[in-house]
Amino acid sequence: MNVSLEMKKLKRTGFYPAFLFGAVLAAAIPILQTAFRAEYFTNQLLPGLEILLGANWQMLAMLNVFFLVIGACMMYHIEFADRAIQKMESLPLSAGRVFAAKCFILLGALLFVILIEAVSIAFCTIHWFSAGQNFVQELFQIFGFEWILMVPAVILMMMVASLCRNMWISLGIGVICIFTVTILPHENLILSFFPFSLPFQSLPDAHDSLHVSSYLAASCTETALFGILEALIIRVRRNCA
Amino acid sequence: MTNMIETHHLTKQYSDFTAVSDLNLHIKKGRIHGFLGPNGAGKSTTMKMFLGLTKPTDGSFEINGKMFPKDRQQILREIGSLIESPAFYGNLTGEENLEIIRKILNLPKRFVKDALETVGLYEYRNRLAKKYSLGMKQRLGLAGALIGKPPILILDEPTNGLDPAGIHEIRTLIRSLPQTYDCTILVSSHLLSEMELLADDVSILNHGRLLFEGTLSELKQYAVHAGYPVENLEETFLSIIEEDNLKRGGKR
Repeated sequence: MNVSLEMKKLKRTGFYPAFLFGAVLAAAIPILQTAFRAEYFTNQLLPGLEILLGANWQMLAMLNVFFLVIGACMMYHIEFADRAIQKMESLPLSAGRVFAAKCFILLGALLFVILIEAVSIAFCTIHWFSAGQNFVQELFQIFGFEWILMVPAVILMMMVASLCRNMWISLGIGVICIFTVTILPHENLILSFFPFSLPFQSLPDAHDSLHVSSYLAASCTETALFGILEALIIRVRRNCA
Repeated sequence: MTNMIETHHLTKQYSDFTAVSDLNLHIKKGRIHGFLGPNGAGKSTTMKMFLGLTKPTDGSFEINGKMFPKDRQQILREIGSLIESPAFYGNLTGEENLEIIRKILNLPKRFVKDALETVGLYEYRNRLAKKYSLGMKQRLGLAGALIGKPPILILDEPTNGLDPAGIHEIRTLIRSLPQTYDCTILVSSHLLSEMELLADDVSILNHGRLLFEGTLSELKQYAVHAGYPVENLEETFLSIIEEDNLKRGGKR
């Protein structure tokens, strides 16, 4: 995988500042919300982490999916803008490996955002509540679960971005997918397997409804499915060119 | 003399038209081979097939003894190319663009400087590629093709967008490459006078079909024999195309 090469291509695109700024923005949400509503939150009888996740999870997940869409669009926009992709295709380079490297970078950038969000939640828990015995482990599990559930959406969005020469089309498709999540009924398990819905599922809620393994299985299946689909698309594009 | 590129009944058909038809081309090693033809003749399509950017519908070709598609990766390693307009990352500098190609080809670092100096862009290496003039972008594309001194160069209209001085400079550069780099060049151009000064051999394509293949002196002999004007290549070329179009039922 040419991860370092793909990372170099992103210089001066605003990709790195966007994720840094996005991470700071996402991290600020739980802190500001808890600061302004401290009394309301601390008067509840539930564990601190549960209160914070209940109040912030949907917003954080929404931001993460939004970053995912923007990141994928930016990564392929640089390939199409000045036809660099044509030069790359005339070099001894596998399109599949380029795609995989881009997915890897986007997943890395999202992992960074999620880590910053986890730090923010940890700060709120320690500052306004009391951290439980397995607090750190629990926090890692929650945000690790979120990251794993984002993988299918990352591959799907990258696939869309790689197919659309015009960035606005892939961005539009991504935004439609995000809006679709908001109109899907939350209680329907099958519909929550939609790749853009998966990142909205939190580990404590999945635990309560005994769906943790279902979500993980859905994520793995969709990841494999989209991976195979992308490999087929690359082959078909080459054969039909 | 051995052939560096050989095609056997190469054909590319799209749903409603044939871009390249039954092409049997022989490009000799160490020569500059000019590819002539009006717009839509199939020059770019043929070049794209050599690079694996377009899949042939029928026929086959071999490059430096390697068969496509079996040895595609090895073939691409041996070809430097500039197809249609230059392709680059606008957000990167000229040097960074070449650095990307260098890393993919796994070449030593000094090759970037060499390529930039060869095309006269070294002074502007730190400028963003999107801020280059059209001529500079063309030079960057040429540098991307030349990097690593590949044994085969495929250049589609390399002087496009250059001013007369730039055209002269690039022509002189291309002319010198077979000796200095020991390479074979396939070059297409609409500037027929340009081709006369540049190419050793020429191929004339019209509507995907090969009308002539040989050296410039052979082309003159052919034109005299067929009764075409021979004062300059442009007139000869236009007459050959005109007659082929008439044979095809007046299609232009």
